[in-house]
Amino acid sequence: MSLERKEEHDHKGWMEERDLTPVEGAYLTVLIWLDKRLRVVDYLEVLEDLYYKVNLQMPKSHTEQYNLDNKFWYWYPLYALGSFSTIAYVVAAISGALLGFYYAPATTGDPSSAFNTVAFIMTDLNFGYMLRSIHRWSAQVMTAAVFLHMLRVYFTGAYKEPRELNWILGIVLISLTMVFGYSGYLLPWNQLSFWAGQIGVEMSLSIPLIGEWVAQLLFGGFTLTQATLLRMYILHVFFLPFVVTALIAVHIGIVWMQGIAEPH
Amino acid sequence: MSDTDTTDADEPDRAETGGRAMTDGGEPDAETDGGEPVADGTGIVAPDDETPTWRERKERTQGLGRLTYEYFERARREDQDLRTESDYIERDVLAFPTWPHEMIRNLSLTSFFVGLIILLSATLPPEMAAPADPSTTPAIILPDWYLYWSFGLLKLGPLNPELAILGGEKLMADRTYGVLANLVVVGVIAIVPFLNKGSARRPVEQPFWAAVGVFGVIFAATISALSIKNLVPIDSHLLFDLTFLLPFVGGFITYAVLKTMREGYMFSLNRRYYRLRPPK
Repeated sequence: MSLERKEEHDHKGWMEERDLTPVEGAYLTVLIWLDKRLRVVDYLEVLEDLYYKVNLQMPKSHTEQYNLDNKFWYWYPLYALGSFSTIAYVVAAISGALLGFYYAPATTGDPSSAFNTVAFIMTDLNFGYMLRSIHRWSAQVMTAAVFLHMLRVYFTGAYKEPRELNWILGIVLISLTMVFGYSGYLLPWNQLSFWAGQIGVEMSLSIPLIGEWVAQLLFGGFTLTQATLLRMYILHVFFLPFVVTALIAVHIGIVWMQGIAEPH
Repeated sequence: MSDTDTTDADEPDRAETGGRAMTDGGEPDAETDGGEPVADGTGIVAPDDETPTWRERKERTQGLGRLTYEYFERARREDQDLRTESDYIERDVLAFPTWPHEMIRNLSLTSFFVGLIILLSATLPPEMAAPADPSTTPAIILPDWYLYWSFGLLKLGPLNPELAILGGEKLMADRTYGVLANLVVVGVIAIVPFLNKGSARRPVEQPFWAAVGVFGVIFAATISALSIKNLVPIDSHLLFDLTFLLPFVGGFITYAVLKTMREGYMFSLNRRYYRLRPPK
């Protein structure tokens, strides 16, 4: 009996006795290395299952079966509105992150830091004018696309069973998109922003029972101050991006799972 | 039963009852029933009896896990039964390849749309408004255009009923009424799938709901116009009346048109449907 430890599964020997290409050898080495530490094998079944699920073929759809494709393809541009709004969302996220490098959410200064930084972006910063323009237009386009997307879903009856939950999720998403737009509208802290904020405060105060609490929570008081701007800023760049991105992922995931509803 | 069903090794129940031998019409099927590994050169060998399969491991679980497993098995069986008994045609081609066909189409669509956004931003840049000044109220106070509908709903004061039992008082303040109107609109849209059921999809198949939709679209437009009534060159009382009149006009016209079109549409649809799938 030797002191040398005998491995029951001599993976190395097994690899050597086979005629492996360098790629295969490297792959197996990595796989075995990972498997010794993470037991990848245990998850293989799950992966396999997922693989076959992804490749499952739906039965022929109604439009295919009854030669109604013309009805579907004719409306195809309207079926792209959902992805169009997602693309606009991504463009807004990228340009918004770049704008965030230069923007400061403060009401101090003359007239205010928020306004001054936006003015700096528009006048002094290279491509700043274009950047803000792109951010604003992608937001406008996203809102418009989301609204038209909702109309398309309504008029093709795509909200019906089994898609009711996704319809409700879509309503939550369109509302959050509008909150996104509203909070962004307040950030430049110009006259339009300020008085739109004033209307917002008055609307929240008009809610029965919980009005004052909502105004405190969203606007940081009953008049527009530094607290309001900071809350709108955090809502716009921290809170909503996480929530909306997650909800969009779920929304698209459900569409992926259930398939696209064609009119038939 | 077709041959594909009998070679499906994933159905132990049928094998246990011996139903498979009966359905084969007496033809011996040594490959699946013999229990011998199939040496067809694929190198895939069926697991021997001592190795528990995933299915067997799941079968041994207890409690909720066991229940979940049983339900999934039932659901799968149901799907399988439905598939066997239907004359639905399965797709005989795999699919459109994701790469390059689908990806290139998606990339071109994406770049077109992004280009559209960039074109808009280059030609119509945002304005720089005056800085915020709490001491002067501007003549025009506006949210962004997509909130006009909500802003318009705040101006429904004239519709807030003055109740006789309250001695001509209003039940709630006009602005509370407006905020609640927002909630009502969103709530009504949210419950649409639970009100309109059935398999009808096209507007011609459901003229009423199409009319409701047109009503909603026109109302969204008119209530937006109402919200900016000081910018719209129409008498404000007329605008208020039109706000509620136009949606009904649009809805009725839609209903009438679709009802008229319906017969012709359904006729050709049914003809095509029954030609491909004659009634039994």
